[in-house]
Amino acid sequence: MENSTVLTNEQITQDLLPQKFGKRGMIWTAILIVICCIGAIAYIKQLRKGLVVTNMGDYVSWGIYISNFVFFVAISLVGSLITAIFRLAKVPWRTPLTRISEIIAVSAITFAGLIIIVDMGRPERLLNLLLHGRLQSPIAWDVIVIGTYFCISLFLLYITLLPDISVLIKAKDKLGKPFSKLYCWLASYWKGTEAQEKIRDRAITILCIIIIPVAFCIHTVTSWLFATTYRPGWDSTNFGAYFVSGAFLVGAGGVVVAMYIFRKVYNLEKYITDKHFDKMARILVLLALLYLYFNVNEYLVPAFKMKKPEAEHLRTLFAGDFAPIFWFAILVGMIIPIIILINKKGRRPLPMFIAGVMVVVGAWFKRYLIVTPTLLHPFLPMYDAPESYHHYFPSWEEWAIAMGSLAGMLLIITFFVRIFPIISIYKTITDQNETVENK
Amino acid sequence: MKLSKINRNSLVILALFVSTASVSQDSVAKTPVLKLLYFSSDNKIPSLHVQTKWKAGKKYQPAKGISVTVYLDSATTALALSNKIITDESGEAVVIMPPSLKTKWEASAKHKFIAEVTGSKEFDGLSAETEITKAKLELDTTTDGETKTVSTIVTALQNGKWTPIKGVEMKIGVKRLGSDLKIGDDDTYTTDSLGKVSAQFKRDSLPGDEKGNLVLVAKVEENEQFGNLVVEKTVPWGAKLKIENTFNQRSLFATRNKTPGWLLFMAYLIIGIVWGTLIYLINRLIKIKKLGKISG
Repeated sequence: MENSTVLTNEQITQDLLPQKFGKRGMIWTAILIVICCIGAIAYIKQLRKGLVVTNMGDYVSWGIYISNFVFFVAISLVGSLITAIFRLAKVPWRTPLTRISEIIAVSAITFAGLIIIVDMGRPERLLNLLLHGRLQSPIAWDVIVIGTYFCISLFLLYITLLPDISVLIKAKDKLGKPFSKLYCWLASYWKGTEAQEKIRDRAITILCIIIIPVAFCIHTVTSWLFATTYRPGWDSTNFGAYFVSGAFLVGAGGVVVAMYIFRKVYNLEKYITDKHFDKMARILVLLALLYLYFNVNEYLVPAFKMKKPEAEHLRTLFAGDFAPIFWFAILVGMIIPIIILINKKGRRPLPMFIAGVMVVVGAWFKRYLIVTPTLLHPFLPMYDAPESYHHYFPSWEEWAIAMGSLAGMLLIITFFVRIFPIISIYKTITDQNETVENK
Repeated sequence: MKLSKINRNSLVILALFVSTASVSQDSVAKTPVLKLLYFSSDNKIPSLHVQTKWKAGKKYQPAKGISVTVYLDSATTALALSNKIITDESGEAVVIMPPSLKTKWEASAKHKFIAEVTGSKEFDGLSAETEITKAKLELDTTTDGETKTVSTIVTALQNGKWTPIKGVEMKIGVKRLGSDLKIGDDDTYTTDSLGKVSAQFKRDSLPGDEKGNLVLVAKVEENEQFGNLVVEKTVPWGAKLKIENTFNQRSLFATRNKTPGWLLFMAYLIIGIVWGTLIYLINRLIKIKKLGKISG
């Protein structure tokens, strides 16, 4: 909230209460639902006919689904960055961004889990992984850690929502009936007493402490799915840190995009201010530089040695079939956003939004580049394989499911914003009261 | 003007050179080659190795599927070692001396083998011969404390007696997976006037089989008079090979019921701490709920 403006509690509540969808909101939601439905139709087709509807094969056995999975896992890290790290570091301006990052984390990790099931082809066999899985396998670690991170993120989102839901219950007259039963079911017991407040505050601190190592684990373990496999492009000790830094970047980019959209759509200029964009821009530059540094490590070291299988893989990335995507991901995903954001003018909301979109889009393509080119460069030559095995381009079913999952993630956020306040009413009021008292 | 003329001439010469080189490369004639080698392994039943090749320039390429008949002393059907033998992908085929020719084989100390190609357009009519004198290569070993010695003797059948032969070159080695490893410093050894060779075994602690056995091998290769002679002997001079079977042990690549203990401990510890904390926090949430009901 702008330091110069002091708002009444009623004004804050009025501004931050969830609002009905306007015309634009309805169109947006309808588009997302249509994309999700197309994805669902494609998935039903995949369920009926099997993974044969995809363009994955003997060589590219991890395609766009796994790229999407890595992307979802990466973007979900933002929950721990903004909520946990900022809270523990007592960053004073974090309040308007906390819930945005939490819901991004929950929705992303939900679809990370779902897209893995999609990639399995036979979803009913997921149970076999739990019943007969080997603890030695990084895949088993990933299942455990994704489940755990989902639970912690959801818990964190819920427990921070409690006082706000209490506000929503009280504002029944203004909000109407649609969600009042849900609010009562979720938090009718919250009275905001000192004892309740104390326990809640302590629980949030504990959650913030455990979510950080778990978040690091989820990204490190996801990187190990690749790095524990001896293949060109994946055989790296750098992968854990490389993934974590990339995840921080895309997560922060995602928050910036969401900040801009929510501010614009719900007129939240008094709460998500230019100062927030400026601060996030600085963080984004730092994270982009960090990720760029890991990228240099990731490509320079094997490029210096130029072992034959690595050389072929790198040649494809730098100057071959994947070069346009590779340079797009590097330039659009890192270098151009850095150039935009190091200028003061670039740290305004609109340029920030553009930079955030670039980071997120670049990050999606970067995940595609982590998965596919390596699979097309096995150590043993592709001898006597059909021509189609030498290339990979997703089928329409794959695109539909992947886009459907992305739309699904956005739909969760959209519905969440319709039901709950995207900025904590309770925390905003508390922060303002503290500011006023300090003055 | 003069310069352009030189350039033109140079170009003509270069073009001629390139065209000649390419024509000569294309027109390298392939000559069929047939080779016959005599082998005696462990002084037992001899065998004949046939090789069929194409010679193109200085290069040899195996010729497969060529049918060859090998004869003893004379190219008559009665003295054929077998019906036609066909060369394999490496252009080689082997035929063993049949029992039917035993009397003929034992009747003389010297023999001639003849190989003839039939039924092959390019190789048809091609023949090869090799003459040998029957010879034996024997290998013995002695151990004197730490000193291990390998002795061989080459004898040939002369006037009905096995007579030691001087000046026969041979290799003595230990059989390994890819090739033979020489037992000492010398690559080859030559028999003395008694037909003997004596060499010290200098390969201590060489890995053998589970009992420490090594296979010594002595070879006379492509000798003009005796052909190829090979003899082997197994000796317990190697280090015993200990095969550690980790298949049933706990490891990262084992089945789920053989997960390493440290991994189980670490995984369950981490899972326990995180989920224990979560369960504790759920308990706290229940507490919040109870407090709410009391105050409400």
